[in-house]
Amino acid sequence: VAASQHTAPALDWKQGRVTSWLTTTDHKRIGILYIVTSLVFFVIAGLLALLIRLQLAAPDQDFIAGDKFNELFTVHGTAMVFLVVVPILAGFGNYLVPLMIGARDMAFPKLNALSYWLFLAGGIVLYASFFANGGASSAGWTGYPPLSGSEFSPGNGVDLWILSLHLLSLSSLAGAINFVVTIFNMRTRGMTFMRMPLFIWAIFTYAVLLILILPVLSGGLTLLLLDRQLGTHFFVPDEGGSALLWQHVFWFFGHPEVYVMILPAFGIVSEVIPVFARKPIFGYAAIAFSTLGIAFAGMLVWAHHMFTVGMGTGLNSFFMIASFLVAVPTGIKILNWLATLWRGNISFDTPMLFALGLIALFVIGGLTGIVIAAYPVDWQLHDTYFIVAHFHYTLFGGAMFGIFAGLYYWWPKMFGRRLDERLGKWHFWLMFAGFNLAFMPQHFLGLLGMPRRVSTYTEGGQWEIYNRLSTVGAFLMGVAILVFAVNVVRSRNAPRVGNDPWHGDTLEWFATSPPPPDNWTQPLPYVSSARPLRDYRTRLEETRRG
Amino acid sequence: VRLTALVVALAALVFAAPALGDNGGLTPVEPASENAQAIHDAYILILFVTGFVFVVVETTLVVFLVRYRRGNRVREAEGPQLRGHTRIEVAWTVVPVLLLAIIVAFVFVKLPEIEDAPAAGPAGSLEIQVEGHQYYWLYRYPGGEIAIDDLVVPVNRVVDLEIVAPDVIHSWWIPALGGKIDAIPGRTNRTWFKAERAGTFTGRCAELCGAQHAAMTASVQAVDDAAFARFLAAHAPSSQTVGQETFEGVCAKCHGLEGQGTDEAPAIAGREFDRTTVQLIKNGGTRMPAVGEDWSNEHIAATIRYLNESIGAP
Repeated sequence: VAASQHTAPALDWKQGRVTSWLTTTDHKRIGILYIVTSLVFFVIAGLLALLIRLQLAAPDQDFIAGDKFNELFTVHGTAMVFLVVVPILAGFGNYLVPLMIGARDMAFPKLNALSYWLFLAGGIVLYASFFANGGASSAGWTGYPPLSGSEFSPGNGVDLWILSLHLLSLSSLAGAINFVVTIFNMRTRGMTFMRMPLFIWAIFTYAVLLILILPVLSGGLTLLLLDRQLGTHFFVPDEGGSALLWQHVFWFFGHPEVYVMILPAFGIVSEVIPVFARKPIFGYAAIAFSTLGIAFAGMLVWAHHMFTVGMGTGLNSFFMIASFLVAVPTGIKILNWLATLWRGNISFDTPMLFALGLIALFVIGGLTGIVIAAYPVDWQLHDTYFIVAHFHYTLFGGAMFGIFAGLYYWWPKMFGRRLDERLGKWHFWLMFAGFNLAFMPQHFLGLLGMPRRVSTYTEGGQWEIYNRLSTVGAFLMGVAILVFAVNVVRSRNAPRVGNDPWHGDTLEWFATSPPPPDNWTQPLPYVSSARPLRDYRTRLEETRRG
Repeated sequence: VRLTALVVALAALVFAAPALGDNGGLTPVEPASENAQAIHDAYILILFVTGFVFVVVETTLVVFLVRYRRGNRVREAEGPQLRGHTRIEVAWTVVPVLLLAIIVAFVFVKLPEIEDAPAAGPAGSLEIQVEGHQYYWLYRYPGGEIAIDDLVVPVNRVVDLEIVAPDVIHSWWIPALGGKIDAIPGRTNRTWFKAERAGTFTGRCAELCGAQHAAMTASVQAVDDAAFARFLAAHAPSSQTVGQETFEGVCAKCHGLEGQGTDEAPAIAGREFDRTTVQLIKNGGTRMPAVGEDWSNEHIAATIRYLNESIGAP
């Protein structure tokens, strides 16, 4: 009998409690490693944000002043983008893509493991750069030269920042190629593109965008490194280089990166809303194609981050109109979600609360995006706290709320146990209230004239009130995260759940919770719609009734 | 229901706070120049359109959540299996396009008032060069006068600004007098304003420029012609006033107003300021930026003189 086993038994040392994780190529374990690591990085980057908010809680403070303050927001921003949102979505993708398309693993399991370990290394380099000669980079997550050049940032912070981003880009690039190949080639019988879960559409688009933009970032970073270390002058104006060249390169990457972060979160919402409203998604095709539409339009809007550099009326107008166009497919998604809720049977479990929270908050971030896409208005609001508020509404209110929806939704699949609903609701409401308290007043601060990235301010009055509210809100968010942490720890003793606790629509709920190494213990049903598991349940029901 | 209550409470909070102040940050600061006014108008229109969409979407969301909550139904009970509706989907694609078209049209109508300076009056326009430095603004007037951080201009006269930066990128921004424009090494940008009333309008550097970015404030003071003439007379590069403004705007931001030193820079009070100081000003030190790399000799001399008189060795 043993001879019929088609896989060679694993080496003993690879089966230990720790070593099995260190050597794993199982997409589910890699997914969990990604998610857990990202959550740890999230807590660190969140603590940096709390330090920022402490310093700004009152005028004229010098608790953390000057370059130290600049290091905080540089690392906070870089980490939240590169170490938290993008990789945690890669974690969801890793865990879910094979399960949702009915495959046994990713196309390239070893490449997949490499992606994770590069990510971990990149994260450690970024955080460890605080201890470098001259501290971490203090040039902002956008790293504009000449400030990020060797003359104005002489230590090694920027060099390590570049190294970290190089590692993370390689990691994401390998991961993205893996997703595209897996989704193209490994779908189970009957799963055409138009029957794929909308989350898979989103991860597919996420991966394609990453493949298009990451090489551009890597190229730019390499030029910056050459300028700093080998005396080239790509971005040095005095020597014939161009400071604006970097901005174009960075934002050609940086703006689509925003959609890289938000589209999979939208994908999560498109999975959660129908299940908790007990209805099919309204306008499946419209949502799938609006994902591609956002990605396409999103590649043409990068210079709206550069309206104040003096591009001239022609270019400014082009980038203004292109930016407005992104609002159309985004609006389509939101209205389709609302239509999905219409006449539904809505249960307010925690995954649903976070998904609804995303809708409520992302609408605000999307609409303020229209305000600042009008380029003369952006001339007032650019680089102020209005921008900070805007992108936190899209990336925290949007991406992070979607990510929490996903964590609560798929936790039972990943660990076989549910997160506690009562703590989950505390988590949600504290987060929702804290978030609005932290970031709504920042819109007003920006309009009052407070630039972003200032380490202090002298104005009292409204400036002080709004800053104080914002700090209180930020700490409320911190409490919410503590509640989440308690929930995670306590879930180890929660009762076990079955394969399909939410009565889901998609194939991952066909597997056991958690699924075994090769995912499937019985033959998968033939996929004949975008909701294979509902079809399966209906058939079982019919068989039972005879 | 809890969501409704929370949304109402938040909305109340959000709108009560600004209501206590003048505009409270609901709109940009009160304009004092035609371009700022036109931007303000565009902002108000967009706020109106987006505010309308906000109310429609959030109300629909809340109404649906209340109306279609599970209540006493069993969890698995399904709603009607509606998969889409082409006409509705076309409608909610077209309507946003129309709303956006209104915004674009309005912005283009307002554009000339924002971008093009009005015809200069009989006195002609005043051309001033604005240099962004770590961490101060240096203004050069046509007659050779200079000023630091505080720009003084005649009221009701078109002022054309030429914005440059010798070191890193800065951004010139006086909210009441129009939008911001970056000061970028290797480039010359232009903007204009015409202060319609006398007064002092403050602003800040809006692009991260280094450790003391927060200290890089600016103001524009619009005064009558007589006061402007007095200002020019006092601001020759070799004057004591320029020496003092330079100390306060350039040196004191890191070394302190009494030269007592701060976390960022050592104390400089009580020493003798001589040729070493001149070299330091021109070329910078280990941590000190080359603050005066493009200053004239008279300007540097005035600064040294002021340093010795105010905080130098007794």
